[in-house]
Amino acid sequence: MAAYLSLAESQRRIAGYLHRFVDAIARQDGATLRPLLAVSSGASLLPISDALANFPDSSRLVTQSDQIAQFAEILLPLLRSIQSHRLRCFAEAYSSYEKAANAFLQEFRNWETPWAMEAVHAIALEIRLLAEKGDRELASVGKSPEKLQAAGSFLMKVFGALAGKGPKRVGALYITCQLFKIYFKLGTVHLCRSVIRSIETARIFDFEEFPLKDKVTYMYYTGRLEVFNESFLAADQKLTYALARSDPLNMSNMRMILKYLIPVKLSLGILPKMSLLKKYSLMEYKDVIEALKTGDVRLLRQALQDHEEQFLRSGVYLVLEKLELIVYQRLVKKIYIIQKQKDPDKAHQIKLDLIIKAFKWLGIDMDVDEGECIVTMLIYKNLIKGYFAHKSKVCVLSKNDPFPKLSGKPVMAS
Amino acid sequence: MSQGGEPVAGINPNPSENQVTYVGQPHASSNPYLTTPGPQVWRPPPQPAPTSWSYRPENPSTQNGYPSNYYYDPQRDASAPSHTQSGPSPTPNAQLQGYNTPYATSYQSSVTPHNNSADYATRFYSNANINSSSLQVAPNQNTGASNQPPFQNSVGHTSSTTMSNSNIYYNASGDHQNTATTAPSYQSGGYYYQQTGQAYGYPSANQGCTTVNPSYQQQYGQQYYYYNHPAGGTSVGTEGTMPGGANAGSHPGVAAAGGYSYPTNQPPPPGTSSWRPDPGTPTLPLVQGVGATGYPAQYPGQFQAYPQKPADQAPASAPALLLASNNANQGNAFYSQTPNMHVSSTNQFQQASQLSQPQPQPQLQPPPPPYPVQIPDTRQIQGSSQLHRNMVQMPETRQVSKMQIPTNPRIAPGLSTGTVKVDRGSISTGGPAKPAYVSVTIQKNETKLTSPAEDADKGAIPVSLRAYVERSFARCKTDAQRTANQALMKEVITKASAEGTLFTKNWDLEPLFTLPSGDATNTNSTQESTIFSSLNKEKRKSRWEPVEETPEKKVELVSSSTNGGPSNIAYSRPEATPKLDGENWNTMKFVKAQKQSNFSSSGRGSFKKQRTNSFIRKPPENANSSSDSDKERELTKYYSSAISIANTPEEKKRREHRSKRFDKRKIEGSTPNNSSSILTRKANAMLLAKNYDENSGTDRAVEDIDWDSLTVKGTCQEIEKRYLRLTSAPDPSTVRPEDVLEKALKMVQTSNKNYLYKCDQLKSIRQDLTVQRIQNELTVKVYETHARLAIQYGDLAEYNQCQSQLKRLYAEGIKGCDNEFSAYHLLHVCIHSNNKRDLLSSMARLSIKSKQDEAVKHALKVRAAVSSGNYLLFFRLYKAAPNLNTCLMDLYMEKMRFEAVKSMSKAYRPTLPVRYVAQILGFMKSSEEKESEITDKSGFEDCEQWLKAHGAVLKSDGSGDLQLDGKASMTTLYMPEPENAVSHGDASLAVDDFLTRAP
Repeated sequence: MAAYLSLAESQRRIAGYLHRFVDAIARQDGATLRPLLAVSSGASLLPISDALANFPDSSRLVTQSDQIAQFAEILLPLLRSIQSHRLRCFAEAYSSYEKAANAFLQEFRNWETPWAMEAVHAIALEIRLLAEKGDRELASVGKSPEKLQAAGSFLMKVFGALAGKGPKRVGALYITCQLFKIYFKLGTVHLCRSVIRSIETARIFDFEEFPLKDKVTYMYYTGRLEVFNESFLAADQKLTYALARSDPLNMSNMRMILKYLIPVKLSLGILPKMSLLKKYSLMEYKDVIEALKTGDVRLLRQALQDHEEQFLRSGVYLVLEKLELIVYQRLVKKIYIIQKQKDPDKAHQIKLDLIIKAFKWLGIDMDVDEGECIVTMLIYKNLIKGYFAHKSKVCVLSKNDPFPKLSGKPVMAS
Repeated sequence: MSQGGEPVAGINPNPSENQVTYVGQPHASSNPYLTTPGPQVWRPPPQPAPTSWSYRPENPSTQNGYPSNYYYDPQRDASAPSHTQSGPSPTPNAQLQGYNTPYATSYQSSVTPHNNSADYATRFYSNANINSSSLQVAPNQNTGASNQPPFQNSVGHTSSTTMSNSNIYYNASGDHQNTATTAPSYQSGGYYYQQTGQAYGYPSANQGCTTVNPSYQQQYGQQYYYYNHPAGGTSVGTEGTMPGGANAGSHPGVAAAGGYSYPTNQPPPPGTSSWRPDPGTPTLPLVQGVGATGYPAQYPGQFQAYPQKPADQAPASAPALLLASNNANQGNAFYSQTPNMHVSSTNQFQQASQLSQPQPQPQLQPPPPPYPVQIPDTRQIQGSSQLHRNMVQMPETRQVSKMQIPTNPRIAPGLSTGTVKVDRGSISTGGPAKPAYVSVTIQKNETKLTSPAEDADKGAIPVSLRAYVERSFARCKTDAQRTANQALMKEVITKASAEGTLFTKNWDLEPLFTLPSGDATNTNSTQESTIFSSLNKEKRKSRWEPVEETPEKKVELVSSSTNGGPSNIAYSRPEATPKLDGENWNTMKFVKAQKQSNFSSSGRGSFKKQRTNSFIRKPPENANSSSDSDKERELTKYYSSAISIANTPEEKKRREHRSKRFDKRKIEGSTPNNSSSILTRKANAMLLAKNYDENSGTDRAVEDIDWDSLTVKGTCQEIEKRYLRLTSAPDPSTVRPEDVLEKALKMVQTSNKNYLYKCDQLKSIRQDLTVQRIQNELTVKVYETHARLAIQYGDLAEYNQCQSQLKRLYAEGIKGCDNEFSAYHLLHVCIHSNNKRDLLSSMARLSIKSKQDEAVKHALKVRAAVSSGNYLLFFRLYKAAPNLNTCLMDLYMEKMRFEAVKSMSKAYRPTLPVRYVAQILGFMKSSEEKESEITDKSGFEDCEQWLKAHGAVLKSDGSGDLQLDGKASMTTLYMPEPENAVSHGDASLAVDDFLTRAP
């Protein structure tokens, strides 16, 4: 295709691109500028990239006019990046783009109004996407992928330029979210902390004033962090915030949030409807929920084992694993209910034998000591109200609400 | 030699000519503290330039000049400010700067690449060099001077020893590695150098010296200064001197100096006590080995010197002032004794052999400077050397530097341009300064130095103290009294500063000392001086003796054990010094008297200038460069030819080869011809050295570097080797090749020694592997062995290091017990770091196959038990743990038990038999596996004790069985503070703990 382009046409396209770029800056038109920077995602740059392939001396066009030449530090690497991207040399494209981005950031710092925020955001997105592509390319040839990390440090620079006082602060949350994406991808989530602190401690700016989409993304990622920390109440609050404000028609976003919100809610004793799982195709939780309903310890273990890899990767494995105690509680409660049907007077005394028998029935062998230990744990964690008599091996339940519901409160931490 | 004659002549003239100026100088130096009356008057402003030069400038200059000396910076800074405050003229600083810069440049050329290590080495060397340089000067001037050199060296040593004491801990523990930045590590580094390539350290030092002598001296002086501070100027310093001799014997002087300086700078608490062990045992062997090289000679000399000077040594405890006085005395003695020449000559030889070749060369090459000048120099040198007291050295070094400067031009051709320039500059300054002289000066300087008191103190003397000093001087009716009073004042101030009471003491209420009769002082100057010293000694003794004693003993032991022959020489020398001292003392007093009279007339403003002048005066002409080159030469020859050195014609050649030698030192086997390539290689290696560990697995950041060309091939055949964190490119002669490392590993595996020893050995093996880039099954074995030992010992930090390396090695496909170690990793993460993300990722990384492994399965079960709080499972798994899983679980046991008892006390009503608790919580075996009643019983008792210690309420029921009262215990349970808790959080770093564990 490029071959069909005449030299003049190529030159015309490139010159046109350069003029659009410079004009956008001159008119402070962020919306026009943004697509000009979208190297990887915008189809709008396709004609230019073709032209660049056809026209080797593009740098001359940049330096030709003073008006354009003043942005040469941005434009030269930018054109190179477009070209490299076109040739699918992503690592190179990234490197060039980072140079351009640095130069642009330099200019951006000098602009007092945040008119170019859209462009900066485009750069932030582009640089992350390019870095991911670059890393994939590097990894495929056996080199160590390091571009994403570099992108992370560049975005920190951008964040620094935005996070202070002033009108540019509005754009900071978007950068934060891009940083989150990078850090989560790299597995260096501990780096999120400083960014979060800067967002949450700055009282000058109300969080609600940030753009909605950024708020949702931010809450989603911080909610995930809370899941890692196993602070379920905070996670619940953040993820619920994100869920409530995201577009219910955007299935993938909803699913992403629910993927973490469901385990959190389960830990708080709140079970979702099966229809929800179906709607967002989160059926991996089905057995877990079933186990919680029935007290089927075996089912829970099976579900964990079946989806182990998935749960480990998403980071909810440990959370789900902790549900086992709640399943125990459910099991004991079932025994209690059955006992009550038989003999309401003695229902509050559950013999350890019975419990062990129930486990055995579920295919789980345990001896007396293990049974005692489990009952002890249940009592200790307030999942059972009552006490255990060691001598007679009987669990004596409180007559008043022997199996307290979690109802939104997490199981007591050990 | 002709020198002998010269000195004598010089001596006589000196008193007359120099005395006046000289005296003034001393005052100037000492004045800061004493300030006021006499001295001020006496010194007029005529010599302002020199004054400025003498003292403060040095510090600033050093700062400026030495970019590389990061470590010192703190001290320098401190000192520098203080100096500036004191107010010496700024001009001097500039001069000094000039010096420094040349030095830096010359130095850098050789060493730059690895800033840290190189700098470090240079530091050491610089100290050593300084010593040597001063020594050199001495030889030139007087024979006595030659004797002095050894002392100076010893001084450096002493300082190092003191430092070493502080550092000991680190060395022993091996922690210093981690704390590379800290002083201890440096010391150890110095030590290391000595061991492996004793020559190495020295050569570098020599090089530095040759080129940079002036700067070195300055630095040296500064360093001393610092040392003094740390020492407190009091007994510590003196102590340092004593031990220094011993250390010197064992350690190369350079190392000692380096170590010393560091310690002073950083008052690392751990360090103080720890160092000695190292020097004691390791050093001796080293010394012996070195013996041939010529180190021994020096040391012996030093040692002997010490014994001979019993008085001085005894006072060693005495503060710097005492030292100063002693020095003065010694210096005087020296002077008078000119005949001692031969003795000194012997000493010189020794020195030369030592590496300090400079000494011999100076003697030969540099034409004797004007007698007066020379004599002063010698005195200074002697004083400093003898005293060793750091304080003394300061003045000396300065003097020396001046002296050297003149000589340098002569020698200049060989020297680097930078140095030459410096020399000239110094000369210009020095020329005018000549006059000053003195033992007294030394004392004054000492006082300043001593006043460890931090620069700030020096800078600002309390008004009340000034008044106090003035009062005391006002009482003096005769010059003799003044001198005596001056000495007393110095003492008082030094002491106060050492004690830190300089500013807190109410000087207005402080009683004045009774003045000694002026006549006595005048007539028997020598005697008096001794008296003073003895007095001082006594006073100090009470306070400091204990400390001093040990070092002295050590030194003596070392000397006796190591050097037999050399010691004799040294002996002769000490005698000489006392005689000289007497003379000096007299002259000094005389001068002082004059000064004082002048002082009263002149205002205070002049005082400062005077001070500076005093320092300036010595324009001794030593061939610094020559001495340096000699050193290098000797080093290269491994000291074997040291004695024969000092041939001027050879010097040139030596100089030419200096840099080469330096390289050679580092990279054994490479010939001088290869120097250029070696240099580049070394530079590269140095640059990379820092990153090496990080990058060891991956070449990504350094793709373009040809690692193969940089990789060291070890030649060391020693199986045993202490670990020392590298501060420079590795020396192949100290690196063991793979087959030796294999033996070393076996040795460690079969060794009965304690963990600390094994850890140290393994670290050195690891280092050698890393340095040679050996990554194979041996590497894995070493790391595995170390990791296992660390787990057994509970050294999780070390374990972590090994684990991360193992992870990488396994990932590269090298076979090993990777399942065993992934189990350890799992346990470690889930039990100790509690990082959920790490845990998740390490669980996700497990392959299906490794999940079948017993150890991994066990670890996963333990993780589950911990995560759910299932204590029963935990303790059952504990008993069934494969490999060393038990050891890692051990570390969590306390917490698990506590959690268990907490839940038990909440769940069980009314009571729970303690026997049951003991069984569940792993205190004793469960009923089925019960084997012997004895273990059962002790387990039960353990459990009972543990429960009580954690606040559980126990009561016995009717049947006599002890029961845990659940309800009562619920509120009383608590986690007791671990008994071995330490404030810094790591019990393994506690000195006590270390001492008990050390063999």
